[in-house]
Formats: sequence, structure tokens, C-alpha cells
Amino acid sequence: MAVDALAAEPKRPGPIAEFWQSFAENRGAVVGLAVVVIIGLLAIFADIVAPHSAIEQFRDFTKLPPVWEDGGLWRFPLGTDALGRDALSRLIHGARISLFIGLMVMSVSIAMGVVLGLVAAFAGGIVDMIIMRVMDLIIAVPSLVLAILVVAVLGPSLENTIVAVTIVYMPRYVRLVRASALGEIGKDYVTAARVIGVGPIRLMFVTVLPNCLAPLIVQAALGVSDAILEAAALGFLGLGAQPPIPEWGAMLADNREFIRSNPWIVTLPGLAILITVVAVNIMGDGLRDALDPKLRRS
Amino acid sequence: MLKYLLRRLALTIPTFLALTLVTFVAIRLVPGDPVEVRQGEHGIDPIRLAKLRHELGLDQSILHQYWDYLVQLAHGDFGTSIRTQTSVASEFFTLFPATLELALCAMLLAVIVGVPAGVFAAVKRGGPIDHGVMGISVIGYSMPIFWWGLLLIMLVSERWELTPISGRIDPIKYYFDPVTGFMLIDAWLSGQEGAVWDAAHHLILPAIVLGTIPLAVIARITRSSMLEVLSEDYVRTARAKGLSPFRVIGLHALRNALIPVVTSIGLQVGTLLAGAVLTETIFSWPGVGKWLIESINQRDYPALQGGIMLISCLVIMVNLFVDVLYGAINPRLRHGR
Repeated sequence: MAVDALAAEPKRPGPIAEFWQSFAENRGAVVGLAVVVIIGLLAIFADIVAPHSAIEQFRDFTKLPPVWEDGGLWRFPLGTDALGRDALSRLIHGARISLFIGLMVMSVSIAMGVVLGLVAAFAGGIVDMIIMRVMDLIIAVPSLVLAILVVAVLGPSLENTIVAVTIVYMPRYVRLVRASALGEIGKDYVTAARVIGVGPIRLMFVTVLPNCLAPLIVQAALGVSDAILEAAALGFLGLGAQPPIPEWGAMLADNREFIRSNPWIVTLPGLAILITVVAVNIMGDGLRDALDPKLRRS
Repeated sequence: MLKYLLRRLALTIPTFLALTLVTFVAIRLVPGDPVEVRQGEHGIDPIRLAKLRHELGLDQSILHQYWDYLVQLAHGDFGTSIRTQTSVASEFFTLFPATLELALCAMLLAVIVGVPAGVFAAVKRGGPIDHGVMGISVIGYSMPIFWWGLLLIMLVSERWELTPISGRIDPIKYYFDPVTGFMLIDAWLSGQEGAVWDAAHHLILPAIVLGTIPLAVIARITRSSMLEVLSEDYVRTARAKGLSPFRVIGLHALRNALIPVVTSIGLQVGTLLAGAVLTETIFSWPGVGKWLIESINQRDYPALQGGIMLISCLVIMVNLFVDVLYGAINPRLRHGR
């Protein structure tokens, strides 16, 4: 009898299934995830999906409107820019650039944030103070102003955009990791690990780090969208990716003079930025609700 | 309280020093020689070049230059702009009121719209108003504001011709000397008919653009803080003793729900200044943000250096002020570690 009762007990879902269940509760987040996946696929397969190359110039077809406007052609569904480049193809290739920037910034700043944050938490004293003062300093300078300063020093380019935005967003990861590590350090399992002779590196990365991951993942998702926005702003100011790279912010700036005659050329890249950032943000909100019930808004 | 204040003040000193080091080193690393940029296309004879370099102190050792820089700063001298040959500090403070006016109006707009929106969303939790407010707020804080600005110019200024495209006032119709630097106030002081109206017309679109992200953030914070407060015992008590819902929400709940909102306003000064760089560039608003971008494009190191120093000092000061204010309200923070 007892054995039967045990066997009848429903199987507990695995951690991933459990996570998915609470994530899927938030329908908005699922939509966000779907949009992010679509944009991601477009970015990966840009060369196959895009009807034309991102930089090929069709000199006979400059400044065409999208297909639903008078004079639009199916050959260029979203029209062409002033140099006759296909807008749709440039937008699709732009997704690759923006997502690449977002993911690079996120992974590098998380890696540095984890290392610096853990070192600050474990070393304490003067090391902690120096690291945190430097982070305070970075936070004191308004994000875009700091990014501008970094780009001024390194010169405007796609790579330097990534460096600049990484520097700007690193402090929040450092603070986050340090704060959650400090919360864990005093707990019994850490003391126990210490007592049985676990080395400091292992203690930091294997024992403590996994317990600080949930808030980090949430911050990472939101960090991607911030990085995309910041990079686009730099591109718009002419301090980011340089032509002919189809970066969305730079595309906007390049065609700014045609805002009266050809509003579409300016509208579409901005819309692409907005859709991507909104999708990442609502996905991030869903992640937070699913991973970190304590942070659940409302 | 005084001890707390002094300790917080002392903590900012290393930050200031590090800031001077960073701006100094960074600006030295910038490619392109400021003297060569100034000489233009035609070249310059070597003696004059050396003289110029000497005048700018560029022929000294790097440590010596840094020390000079610190001494200068201690005297309140933030350098001389290469472009205009005027003091960076005076240039900054001439332009700063324009940025401040824009930022204040943007924040005012964000609070006036954001707080009620957040309150309504919280009170009607789960309903269509809540979903609408939260949806718009996600779009708001995801907004690339440079695009948003262009879009508004395209619609409101170009198509509907409701507002001017750029600047702070129509310089042909109205002319008066700046008194406060705030165009709205100056226009009012000038007594010229229609001047205030014209200035407000110029201000409205930039303020909307700059206020968009703070508005979204404030609406969200107000909503979640309001939801928390609404479940507190004292709100239930107020309801139980038969107060009207308007009094309960407006007086008892809102007053406590606003504390995190006020803090967030202080912390958004940096966001506002960063946004001002973009907004001013789009609307040709003659403030420090646009000036900073022009400085970088013309390789005006001293202006860039001084400008970034001044902006950062400002943000540090405001953050310090918010911290101290918070410490004054909440004694637990003051005595904590």
C-alpha cells in the first residue's frame, strides 16, 4: 500500500520546466521572447533572408518609398535610402549589429562584474574600497557623456562603441554581484566549505557564485536592451559604427536630411530599435518575475 | 547628523580626485593635436607652432601638466576653450540655464503625468487602465529618444505646423538680453507681447522628448510603491473608519508612496543630462549637451575636459544631496554602516 501511494505521487517538474511554467504565466513576456527569437534568427540568417546586400547601391532606385506607398516597388519592400541601398536588407543586417553589440556588452560586463564584484566582496578592506570608489566614479558621469568621452579617446568605431558601453554598464554588475556575495558569505554553507579547506578561487566561483545568479540573469536581460539603446545613440551622434555599416542609429542620422521628403527612411530604423528594445525589456520583466519572486513587481 | 554629512562629504573627495585624473588622462590620449587642428588647412610655421604649444602648456612633462591642471581647478579655472578663447566655466554656465530649464520642464512633465498614471494603474490594478499604463511605460523607457524627437518634429512641426523646429525663441520677432538665462522668465520680464508664448512653444517638444523616459520610470515606481502602500494596515484603518476613497488614496496612501518616487527623481539627474545631449542636438537647443558634442567634433580638449568635469561634479553633488536628504528622513541609514 505504502509503495503504491508513493508511486502515485505526481512527479515534481524539473527546474527548467518549473521555470518555464512561471515564465509562461506572463503572456507579454512570451510575446517578447518570441519577437526576440525572430529578430535573433533574422540576424543569424541575415545573408540568406535579406533580399539584397546591405551595402549594394542601386543608383537608379534612390529614395524609393515602401511598397504600400505610391511609387513603391516589390523589389524593395521597404524602399531604398539616398544611395539606393535596400532599406529592408539594411534593417535585417542592422539587427545583427545591434544584437551583437548588446550581447557582447552584456557578456563582457558580466564577466568583469563577476570577477570584480566577487573580489571586492571576498577581499574587503582597501581592495573593496578601491574597486567600489572606481565604480562610483563611473556612475557619477552620465552614461552617454562617459561613452562619448571613451569614444573621443579611442576614436569612433563599432568595436570602440562596445568598449565604451561596456565601461558604462559594468558598475551595475559589480555592485550587484558584490551585494549578493556579501549576503551569502556569512551563511553556514560558506563557512562549512571554508572549514573543509576549499580554496578562495573555488569558494568564490563554485560555492558562492551560483547563489548570486538569479538577480544577475535578470539584470543581464535588461542590460542588453540598455546597451542596444546606448550604442544606437552613439551611432546617431556619429560616434559609433561608421558608414557603410548598417547600424540602426547611424542609418537614422545618415538620412536625417531627408526627413521632410522621405520620412520612411528615417522612421524605419528607429522603429526597429524600439521594437527590439521593447521585446527584450518585456522578456526581461518576465524573467525577473519567474526567477526572482522577491523582486516581482506588485 | 553633522557627522554623517561630513563623512559623506569626505567620501566624495577621492571620487573628485579620481575624476580629475580620468578626464586629464583621457583627454591627453585623444588622437589629433589641438594645435594642428587650429592651424587649419594652410599649415603653420614651426616657431609659431612651438609658441602656441608653449602657451597651451603642451610642451611640459605630463606630470607637470597634471599638477598645473589640479592647481587650475583649485582656483575654479576649468580651462580655456580652444574654439572660442573664452573660459570653459563661463561658457558652461552661460549655456547651463538652457539645459536646466529644459531638464526641469521635462521632469515637471514626467511627475505631473507619471504620478497620477501610476496611482490610477495601482488603484485599478489588473484592469485596462493598469495594462494600458504599464504597456505605454514599457514603450516609454525603451524609447530611442533621438528617433522620438525626429518623429515629433516630423509630425507636430512639419506636418501640423504647430511648433517651431529648433531653438529657444524666434530671434527675429523677439530680442532681449538674458537676465536669468531661463527663456520663459526672461521672456516674461521683457514684457514683449507673445514672447512667453513663443518660448513655451519652442520648449514643449524638447521637454516631451527629454521627459519620456523619466515619465515611464516614475509611472512604474509610483504604481509599485502605491500597490505596496495600499496593502498596509493604516490604509485599511483609514478605509474602515469610513474616509472617502479619494482621501484614503490621495492623502494617506499617496503621501507614503511618494518617498521612493522622490528618491528616483534625484537619481535621474544623470539620465536627464545624458538625454539632454541627444535632445539638444536634435532640437538645436543651445545648452551644454549640444555644446559638448560640438566640442568633441572640433577636438576642443579643454572644453570637453572642463565640461565633463563640471557635469560630473554636478551629478555627484546632486546624488550627495539626495543621500543626505534621505539620511535626514530615514535615521536607520544614517547610523548604518
